[in-house]
Amino acid sequence: MTNLKVDVTNLKKNFGDNHVLKGVNFKVADNEVVVLIGPSGSGKSTLLRCLNRLESPTSGKIIIDGRDISDPKTDIDLARQNIGMVFQHFNLFNNLTVGENIELAPVELGKLSKEEAAQQGKKLLKAVGLEDKFSAMPQSLSGGQKQRVAIARALAMKPDIMLFDEPTSALDPEMVGDVLEVMKKLAKEGMTMVVVTHEMGFAKEVADRVVFMADGKVVEEGQPEQVFDHPQNVRTKAFLDKVINV
Amino acid sequence: MKKHFVALCLLFAAFFAVLVGKQSQVQAKTYTIGTDVTFPPFVYANSHNKYVGIDMELIRTIAKTEGFKIKIKPVGFNAAVQGVSSGQFDGIISGMTITKEREKTFQFSTPYYESGIVMAVAPKSNIKSLKDLKGKRVAVKTGTQGATYANSLKKKYGFKTVTFDDSDNMYNDVKTGNSAACFDDSAVLNYGVRTGLGLKIVTKPADIGKYGFAVKRGHNQKLMKMFNAGLAKLKKNGKYEQIIKKYTGQSATSAKKKANEKKDDASNTFAGLIKENYQAILTGLLETIKLTVVSIICATIFGILVGLLGVIPNKFSQGLSTTIIYIFRGLPLLVLALFIYNGVPSLTGSKIPAFVAGIITLTLNEGAYTAAFVKGGIDAVDSGQMEAARSLGLSFGKAMRKVVLPQGIKIMIPSFINQFIITLKDTSILSIIGILELTQTGKIIIARNLQGFRVWTIIAVIYLVIITILTLLSKWIERRIND
Repeated sequence: MTNLKVDVTNLKKNFGDNHVLKGVNFKVADNEVVVLIGPSGSGKSTLLRCLNRLESPTSGKIIIDGRDISDPKTDIDLARQNIGMVFQHFNLFNNLTVGENIELAPVELGKLSKEEAAQQGKKLLKAVGLEDKFSAMPQSLSGGQKQRVAIARALAMKPDIMLFDEPTSALDPEMVGDVLEVMKKLAKEGMTMVVVTHEMGFAKEVADRVVFMADGKVVEEGQPEQVFDHPQNVRTKAFLDKVINV
Repeated sequence: MKKHFVALCLLFAAFFAVLVGKQSQVQAKTYTIGTDVTFPPFVYANSHNKYVGIDMELIRTIAKTEGFKIKIKPVGFNAAVQGVSSGQFDGIISGMTITKEREKTFQFSTPYYESGIVMAVAPKSNIKSLKDLKGKRVAVKTGTQGATYANSLKKKYGFKTVTFDDSDNMYNDVKTGNSAACFDDSAVLNYGVRTGLGLKIVTKPADIGKYGFAVKRGHNQKLMKMFNAGLAKLKKNGKYEQIIKKYTGQSATSAKKKANEKKDDASNTFAGLIKENYQAILTGLLETIKLTVVSIICATIFGILVGLLGVIPNKFSQGLSTTIIYIFRGLPLLVLALFIYNGVPSLTGSKIPAFVAGIITLTLNEGAYTAAFVKGGIDAVDSGQMEAARSLGLSFGKAMRKVVLPQGIKIMIPSFINQFIITLKDTSILSIIGILELTQTGKIIIARNLQGFRVWTIIAVIYLVIITILTLLSKWIERRIND
């Protein structure tokens, strides 16, 4: 692999007696799009949330862009400015307009002036196809629109890497396409992405690499064709049978 | 962010410390004297709401001849006794009988009056002696010699006692027939009967006792010396005789009776009552408003700080917040007020002015409730909001201020309005530590004119009016915030 963006070694995470991650090794190269798949409870989302320390790891090492995320002394706020995240439930700030949602972080963190942030916000909204929603309140948007705003909001900090935590799971089926479209565009532009999803079509089409997790461990990984068409592990096979033959 | 909280907390504490310190320095130059202003002819408020009576004229005249200053605290007998023993007041003059038991805690002056305990009943009652009390209810006033006397006899004669905090409520209980009789000092009851109290005395004075001015044993020796010296002078130069005559002589009581009857015409109407007492009521209302406004501000600041301490991801601050809420929400307001006003000074030896003690009480109690709903309001905001803000690189404090709090406050607003109204109502409880607010004003007016129903109606209506104004104001603010 060339330039390493993410380097996770022997990551463990316990919630009390519940061992969710049991020693995960996980790497992402620059500009690479990695899709995490696996049955629910396998630890995909926990792994993703450890990458920007929304969950603090029990043990193990996480290096992103040369920064040791797992070290409590690391300025996590600074590190997070570089790691965009998109949530299953969008989490748009309900007290702010769409525009303010996008402007908040760059302005508060002194990256842009209010005017620059507004300009950038409009540009980002245009990129996700929602330029007319700048002054709207989040409550007035559909789920698909909310998620596209959330992506724009994360991009406003100009991150090097984007984490997607089941971005389409909470959407009505007809909304899924719009969101995936935006993500594909992002991938094409060379964004480094780690995506937890159940959209196998998206994984096949966009992913550089697919990582299959089960029971807190990485069980199998490889190029999409390889994992989807010739899975090596029994559990991968069983999982894919269930998901694809629905 | 955490540092800011601690700093603010300290600032808050310092504010109180300064307030308390300043006030006690000023008061150290004058002697504070506790009394019960519902005890004519010894102490009562005249129609100009000035405290008069034998005790008041004596202490004032003595203060003048001996060259010291006094500040009268009309807190009721029980609170005055506690106030002196806790060091909150320097002395008490309130028709206080000298007893062995009391001498353990207090040091008494030369007696200035002699009186016994008599029993009074309603005019139409057929109770004539102690024997007729079997199975009946008898009204007494907390901490008085009359109460001690009644309690010592209740087994023998088979009656029950019910205690009141002031004379007026005790008399009223007999007049309305709830209690069959009451026991009180003969001088007081004699005076009352002669001035149209509406009770009759049926026993001879028993358990004769002497009245004395008192200080806490071993304290305020200079004050005691001055009082004794002054009293001796007054007895010598005839002033003492004059004062006693002024309040108990035939002419005095009949004049007062006439005045009472004349006043009754005026007092029989609401308009007359208001006209007669509007100044006192206005002063009381102002005090209530002052208490309410200051304690709403302090309690809101305190409550928000404690509430925020409870949501900071730090075990120590969360524990602190939970403990503060648990303690001050768990304590009855009345107990807290008495503890701060009487309890703390007897431990630390420094006085706390009643107003400050009242503010501290309300701040802690109402603040604890505020903290609980502030915490609840923040917790009610979806945790995803905080996560999303943090994921962008915003610090905890910024995420809180810009994203979580604005949403939490909207959830909290109805609780804030509710708490403001409760605070306003709770100021009435502070009458227990003698703050002359609306409720205490009502008590004092009734002690003079005995118009319980009408005065309490007026007071109740005033409370409703200001609560309505406060509610409308809060709703207006709520609309402004929500728009």
